[in-house]
Amino acid sequence: MKLGRREFVKLTAAATAVTAFGGLGFDLAPTKAHAQLMSLRKGKETTSVCCYCSVGCGLIVTTDEKTGRAINIEGDPDHPISEGALCAKGAATFQLAENPQRITKPRYRAAGSDKWEEKSWDWMLNEIAKRVKKVRDASFTEKNAKGEIVNRTEGLASVGSAAMDNEECWIYQAFLRSLGLTYIEHQARI
Amino acid sequence: MTNHWIDFKNSDCILIMGSNAAENHPICWKWVTRAQEAGGTVIHVDPRYTRTSSKSDLYVPLRSGSDIGVLGGMIKYIVDNDLIQKEYVLHYTNASFIVSKDFSFSDGLFSGFDEAGRKYDKKSWDFEMDENGVPKRDMTLQDPRCVYQILKKHYDRYDIKKVSAISGSPEDKLLAFYKAYTATGKPDKSGTILYAMGWTQHTVGVQNIRAMSIIQLLLGNMGVAGGGVNALRGESNVQGSTDQALLFHIIPGYLATPRANWPTLEEYLKANTPVSKDPKSVNWWQNRPKYVASLLKSFYKEADLPTAYNWMPKLDAGQNASWLVLFDKMLKGQFKGFFAWGMNPAASGADSNKTREALSKLDWMVNVNIFDNETGSFWKGPGMDPKKIKTEVFFLPCCVSVEKEGSISNSGRWMQWRYAGPKPMGDTKPDGDIIYELALKIRELYKKDKGAFPDPILGLNVDDWGDGHVFDPHKVAKLINGYFLKDTTIKGADGKETVYKAGSQLPSFVMLQADGSTCSGNWIYAGSYTDKGNMAARRDKTQTPEQEKVGLFPNWTWSWPVNRRVIYNRAGVDLQGKPWAPNKPVLAWDAANKKWLIDVVDGGGDAGAKHPFIMQKHGMGAIYGPGLNDGPLPEYYEPLECPVTEHPFSKTLNNPTALIFADEAHKRTTCDPRFPFVCTTYRVTEHWQTGVLTRWLPWLTEAQPQMFCEMSEELAELKGIKNGEKVILENPRGQLWAIAIVTKRFKPFEVMGNPVHVVGIPWHYGWVWPKDGGDAANLLTPAVGDPNTGIPETKAFMVNVKKA
Amino acid sequence: MSGKSFFVDLTKCTACRGCQIACKQWNKLPAEETRNHGSHQNPMDVSAITYKTVHMKEVADDKGFMAAWLFFPEQCRHCTEPPCKMTADAYDDKAIYQDEATGAIIFTEKTKDLPDFDEIREACPYNIPRQNAETKVMTKCTMCLDRVQNGLKPACVQSCPTGTMNFGDRDEMLALAEKRLAEVQKKYPDAVLGDAESTRVIYLYQADPKSYHPYSVADATMPGLMNRKAMFAKLFGSKSRSKA
Repeated sequence: MKLGRREFVKLTAAATAVTAFGGLGFDLAPTKAHAQLMSLRKGKETTSVCCYCSVGCGLIVTTDEKTGRAINIEGDPDHPISEGALCAKGAATFQLAENPQRITKPRYRAAGSDKWEEKSWDWMLNEIAKRVKKVRDASFTEKNAKGEIVNRTEGLASVGSAAMDNEECWIYQAFLRSLGLTYIEHQARI
Repeated sequence: MTNHWIDFKNSDCILIMGSNAAENHPICWKWVTRAQEAGGTVIHVDPRYTRTSSKSDLYVPLRSGSDIGVLGGMIKYIVDNDLIQKEYVLHYTNASFIVSKDFSFSDGLFSGFDEAGRKYDKKSWDFEMDENGVPKRDMTLQDPRCVYQILKKHYDRYDIKKVSAISGSPEDKLLAFYKAYTATGKPDKSGTILYAMGWTQHTVGVQNIRAMSIIQLLLGNMGVAGGGVNALRGESNVQGSTDQALLFHIIPGYLATPRANWPTLEEYLKANTPVSKDPKSVNWWQNRPKYVASLLKSFYKEADLPTAYNWMPKLDAGQNASWLVLFDKMLKGQFKGFFAWGMNPAASGADSNKTREALSKLDWMVNVNIFDNETGSFWKGPGMDPKKIKTEVFFLPCCVSVEKEGSISNSGRWMQWRYAGPKPMGDTKPDGDIIYELALKIRELYKKDKGAFPDPILGLNVDDWGDGHVFDPHKVAKLINGYFLKDTTIKGADGKETVYKAGSQLPSFVMLQADGSTCSGNWIYAGSYTDKGNMAARRDKTQTPEQEKVGLFPNWTWSWPVNRRVIYNRAGVDLQGKPWAPNKPVLAWDAANKKWLIDVVDGGGDAGAKHPFIMQKHGMGAIYGPGLNDGPLPEYYEPLECPVTEHPFSKTLNNPTALIFADEAHKRTTCDPRFPFVCTTYRVTEHWQTGVLTRWLPWLTEAQPQMFCEMSEELAELKGIKNGEKVILENPRGQLWAIAIVTKRFKPFEVMGNPVHVVGIPWHYGWVWPKDGGDAANLLTPAVGDPNTGIPETKAFMVNVKKA
Repeated sequence: MSGKSFFVDLTKCTACRGCQIACKQWNKLPAEETRNHGSHQNPMDVSAITYKTVHMKEVADDKGFMAAWLFFPEQCRHCTEPPCKMTADAYDDKAIYQDEATGAIIFTEKTKDLPDFDEIREACPYNIPRQNAETKVMTKCTMCLDRVQNGLKPACVQSCPTGTMNFGDRDEMLALAEKRLAEVQKKYPDAVLGDAESTRVIYLYQADPKSYHPYSVADATMPGLMNRKAMFAKLFGSKSRSKA
């Protein structure tokens, strides 16, 4: 990726800061911000766009190349709409990514069960595919009550999602329509 | 949005109505502030004094749901005081068009109403045509059947006393508002409207926006810098997901969904391709056959066009498969399988108890999300007995936005490319990979064991989606843009022929073909990913001085269509191509060099050669709009649940065509003393949507930890409620607790001589998380909707509030 | 060298709280467990893990209608002659550090060994210092010194959309503050700058500073103040610059 004419200052002077305080014989408190700055120098920077409202503010994401995890997410000063600014939500994006409460494994809830069970992706997708086929085959309607051709699947419906990228939205709707779904809706309707 | 975020700075008057922009689109306030610094006025009209009101120059309170009264009053003010931008209205709008003799309006109903069917036969609303098939016009605007006179007569009833009486807005505030906003009717001044769900979530949602569109046309505010009609929209890619048609009624690029009454492509095109006999009307939708053919080829590359059309699923004629209907059918057992993909309908849909019960009627559900949510875990929610719920749930964890690559489109139609930073956490995957892998698995099953009508599944062009295993957003972005399927020779406007090789990317939608020789997943995105590269990834801030003046940034990312930054910009210049506002032009005609400057012109041709509103069949801005389901002009109706039994404009209390479910009448209340308070729903800065992507973030729940209910000091006193106490809100659909915020920012409204209290609740909470955070506002909202969109009326309904 | 300063133009603040969260993000501070107290504000005060919070005050006119909703992003003022440091220096002149180049006041880890936290807190006319209950280290805004030394704006300033939060060379900020004061006084005749000479966080108030927050500006007459604080207030003169 190209950062273009971005004016975001490269963090090359960090060592100076350390020396300044180090020379005086004490550390900054809290020390975390300082330590983070050091690792920021080593991080990979990528640009993104905020996932919350639809203003489309620019983000700079710094990723620790060793752990592959984000170490800092802040506004992109070069972005012409946001000019580096972020609201409470945008400024919290780091916690969306680096959040121990994210669900990181597929899970299944059986009929009548009171709990989730972790399953493999392969198992999940195979089971879903089988069910899609079963419902589609059973509910596929070539002609409606008037005898007009409709080629649709009556027993399946979908909602979602404005949280997906354009490319994902596009293949999702093509996938659903190829299955014959007509009940396709999402956030724009509510 | 017709305009874009930065453009707000160019406005002389920013009206924020049906939106709380400072709280819900906080960064846009940068540009609102710049407008103020340049001398612009900001007006906020809202039931509640918010952070937006605090920074506005004028705050006008109105009772939730009374917007058309207030806007109708402004239309009357404009007409009575002759404040229209006359040349604009005459040449660029349908004000001069003559309406059919058969059109009439009486006591809140337009001609053609079918009471039993709750719908209109719109035939009598048509325009009268001359012998050439072009609408008849009266350029003096005096003919009693011309649109301008019909408008004048229609809104003559909306005098300020009546408007004030029904909206509860003080007369002096209304007058100050009308005066400030209508000053933008001067040619060199512009006014803009920023609205959001505060206008759409009503049974008159579309007509709220129509009323404002009429005002914008009368004042000449469309197509100019600092003008337009701007839906702020609530999700980072809700513009894009709408463009890509994750909706029942359209397929990508705003093309109608095939229906049973159009059994062949030929019949579909005949019904959906408008014809204009006016040589000055661009009538852009005459190109629809090219867009449909290219879309069909993007789905089904190897199939011929009639076959590909046959493979598309079809709705019945007139069938409504929108959200509320979907969940009603689910409750009644129609669906066995359901995808809730990146959505939380158990909290986001109106009447949550109905939605949650509907989920229990499914055999299985796939829920794709980042965090646990009220939909995926509905079976263990409040009042549910897991043992009795048969629905299997497959929860698929997707990664977050900064972990994947692809584009999103903001409200200003900027398609912006994002890159992957961290890797997807744990076993999470991008949605694209999940969809792709699932599609491949289903294909395998149909390859192995044929099943019902396998052709569209096996014929689907999945080769353009990835490498056979991994989803490739670049490949799909190229498909959405489109490419040539055969070597094609195209004659340009200058007569020169260019040969495009098969496989080369389409430079723009102008090259799309109706014969199947081009494919394009979405014609409005043609030009976004060409042989020159990924336009959405551009980060070049170069501008000409004129572009810089209005903040156009034409080389930063890409804007649909054809990188046009202000749509309908042709209306921003006069018939000679001179900008109405010479100090802030978006477009200008260079007569010497015969070319358009600054933005990409809408429509093409020389100055004055074409009507400016190119998406309209007749090329004119629609002051009169005969296409909608509830009338060609906005009319005042109360919300379906309201605090009054009558209003001053007619005897028709509610929108007679609103989407309702007849078997739910017992769940709705109007003027019921048990539920005396108007309730409205909204958002806060610190949370988003149902809160799934914010409630789990400790920094955000720290800032807004719990469900609250805002109410006036007067209501609190009436009900003996103290600030910070727990209260219960209830109505026949559900019950909800909240922490009372007793505030001066809500005041009782005086409506038709009686006090009406409005309370407000945010809709971000849910029982799953955080603990003691509260539950969904939609437990209380009614499943009734706008007759055009089906969007539910979650902004005005009735409740009771009491101490917990 | 005159160092750095913030200019906080409260007439532009929308309380989007980007600054409040950006501060937590950069400093990786954990969240507090909060409750809704009948207000949009939270946390209600600064703490050992909250260096910055936005206060919200409703102001009514004489008829009970909203006249203004005042927002006050509170943080350490980085005093030019910091009483916290003067107090701490009596015990250990390295516990609280004043950065020469910027003027930032930094609580170091050595603050944990200061004998009396309350003394430090009460020395502050703005009631800013807090203490980590476990480590005993005292905490507050750092001016994002690490960022500033690397040519970046403090996190809160970068996140601000409206131009409320500004940061730069002190002379520049003072000039901007004076310029904005003159502009703002046309609309808000009571507008004042708070403690512009004595602090490096210069707030522009559209109304009486005390209507924003009890500790918005240093106050010599506040009851219960320690002598040192009273002396401090006298040292720096009037609580705010009166209108021209």
